[in-house]
Amino acid sequence: MSIIKTCNVKYSYDGNRNVLKNIATDFEVGKIYAILGPSGCGKTTLLSLLGGLDSPSYGQVLFQGEDIEKKGLAYHRKNNVAFIFQSYNLIDYMTPAENVALTSKLPPLPILERLGLTKEEAKRNVLKLSGGQQQRVAIARALASDASVILADEPTGNLDEDTAVEITNILKECAHQMNKCVIIVTHSNELAKQADVTFCLKKGELQQL
Amino acid sequence: MNFVKRAFLYCFRQKVKTLILFLVLAIISTFLLTGLAIRDASEGATEDVQTAIGGKLFLEIDPANQYDSSQDGYGMTYTYNGDYITPEILDAISKVDGVVDYNSDNPRGFWGAGVDFEYLPAAFNLSYTPYGESSAYTAALSSEKSSDFESGKYSLVDGRHITSEDKYVVMISKELADYNKLSVGNIMTMYCLDSDGNVKLEIIGIFDGTEGTSGNGGFSVSDIPANCGYVDYTTMFENFGRKIDGYTQIDIYVEDPVSIQNVYDKVKDLPELRGKSLKLSIDTDEYDVVSTPLESLQQLVNITIIIISVVSVVILTLLLTIWIRGRKKEIGILLSIGKSKLNIILQIFTETIIVAVISFVASIPFSFSVAEKAGAFLVSRVTTGTANLNVQINAAYLLPLYLIGILLIAVAVIASSWTVVRSKPKVILTKMS
Repeated sequence: MSIIKTCNVKYSYDGNRNVLKNIATDFEVGKIYAILGPSGCGKTTLLSLLGGLDSPSYGQVLFQGEDIEKKGLAYHRKNNVAFIFQSYNLIDYMTPAENVALTSKLPPLPILERLGLTKEEAKRNVLKLSGGQQQRVAIARALASDASVILADEPTGNLDEDTAVEITNILKECAHQMNKCVIIVTHSNELAKQADVTFCLKKGELQQL
Repeated sequence: MNFVKRAFLYCFRQKVKTLILFLVLAIISTFLLTGLAIRDASEGATEDVQTAIGGKLFLEIDPANQYDSSQDGYGMTYTYNGDYITPEILDAISKVDGVVDYNSDNPRGFWGAGVDFEYLPAAFNLSYTPYGESSAYTAALSSEKSSDFESGKYSLVDGRHITSEDKYVVMISKELADYNKLSVGNIMTMYCLDSDGNVKLEIIGIFDGTEGTSGNGGFSVSDIPANCGYVDYTTMFENFGRKIDGYTQIDIYVEDPVSIQNVYDKVKDLPELRGKSLKLSIDTDEYDVVSTPLESLQQLVNITIIIISVVSVVILTLLLTIWIRGRKKEIGILLSIGKSKLNIILQIFTETIIVAVISFVASIPFSFSVAEKAGAFLVSRVTTGTANLNVQINAAYLLPLYLIGILLIAVAVIASSWTVVRSKPKVILTKMS
């Protein structure tokens, strides 16, 4: 079932050269998508447009058939999508539990424990956690928001191989068991191999591999 | 998690920044409290001056074109033939709202030579009456209001002052009393050249302030202040040599100088004054002498408060701008999870208010000593020490302080967040990464 869709999306930084050209793609729940491509090809820009961090120069992004700008991009970011970043992007003066509580009114501890953090670790300052633990907190924050779409920008980019596999498995679990639509932007072919659908963004065009 | 909880977490976890903000806000609060307290104290001092001095109207005969002229062997003689200030007019004026008192002085209105006493001797003895030389007396309705007593030059040392009810009474200097061994209750007999008769006056008051003037070697006895005293108006009227229909001038005391124009209009409209050759004017000289420096002080303090406010906003804005630049990552994260820009600005505003609430209260005891010293310094600079300020700081100042403080903080937060408000979330996140 299509949850988020791009309709002829174009994007230009300067009004002349389009970084994205007529991107028209459906993303469904229950699947994990990988978008590959060289640096600077517009992968993160596409993720920003899907997540409502920016607006397309032309075209629309539809969530459940409705233009995300209709209810406002902040509403879209709050209710429909959740981001996971390469550098985790946790608020450094908060504990993991507090970071997770930013997006949810539900108790954060069960989610954190499910992702492998102990109660004691959940109450530490986030900067005292390892990279893998910090990324688990970021994923917990994304899951706590109850968003249907998880947008991950290089989620394993800063992690060692074993931890990257663990994080990949968690993301697969999110898609296949929690029925989320997980869209991952990555350079990693290993991670892309785990995806249900893989795209390649080249010269502004999105091609399914 | 709402912005209030995030704000509290930030304040508790970022202790160094909170402490810096606390100190900055405490300094701003101290300056603001000092300014507010001095301004209130100067307003209070001005009100005290208003109450103490009051305002004054001046009613006098208008001599323009009101003289009869006659020629005699000594030359031209001019006699005033216009209207006088009658007791009826005085009665009407005294009933006007805002009028608290009136007085009329007629310096040298009565002259008398000593029949049973002697004046302090002058350089020349001009014995032009059978009892030697005459000295001058000021006729007064209320001697207490006479300028020499009001200014403090003279002060009553025994007895009482002359009032409008008195008849044939006199107040003399302590020097003259001592010279003749006279005291309150004694009768002085004077020869009045104008009426060519003796007048008996009861001494009702003795004043000092003329000490040492007897040795000045005045040309005549009336040049020596110690020989000059005060008599009631009846004494003057009945011994003037010709009939006088009233007073030539009168000071009208007004309760509040601020409303003096209103009282002036009411007095001017009195039927008893209409068509009369009398001139009414406003006299605020004494009030102005004291109140002008205080008003200058108030203006200075008001300007200072504005400058403090502007400088405070600038300092707070700079501080918050630096900190907000360092919080771009946090702002980007909050935007990415769907927090609105308003929500983020409200968090920063709440953080500053939380610290301000504590620092404003904490600055009160410190502000007290600063305000006292600053007040004394300003008074010495602006009023040349003629006024006293009762500078006090109490809990009542918290309301205006918080209102001004919240306004300043709101302006500073909006100004410092402006770059964040204008940027797209993606731009912030890009810069962040």
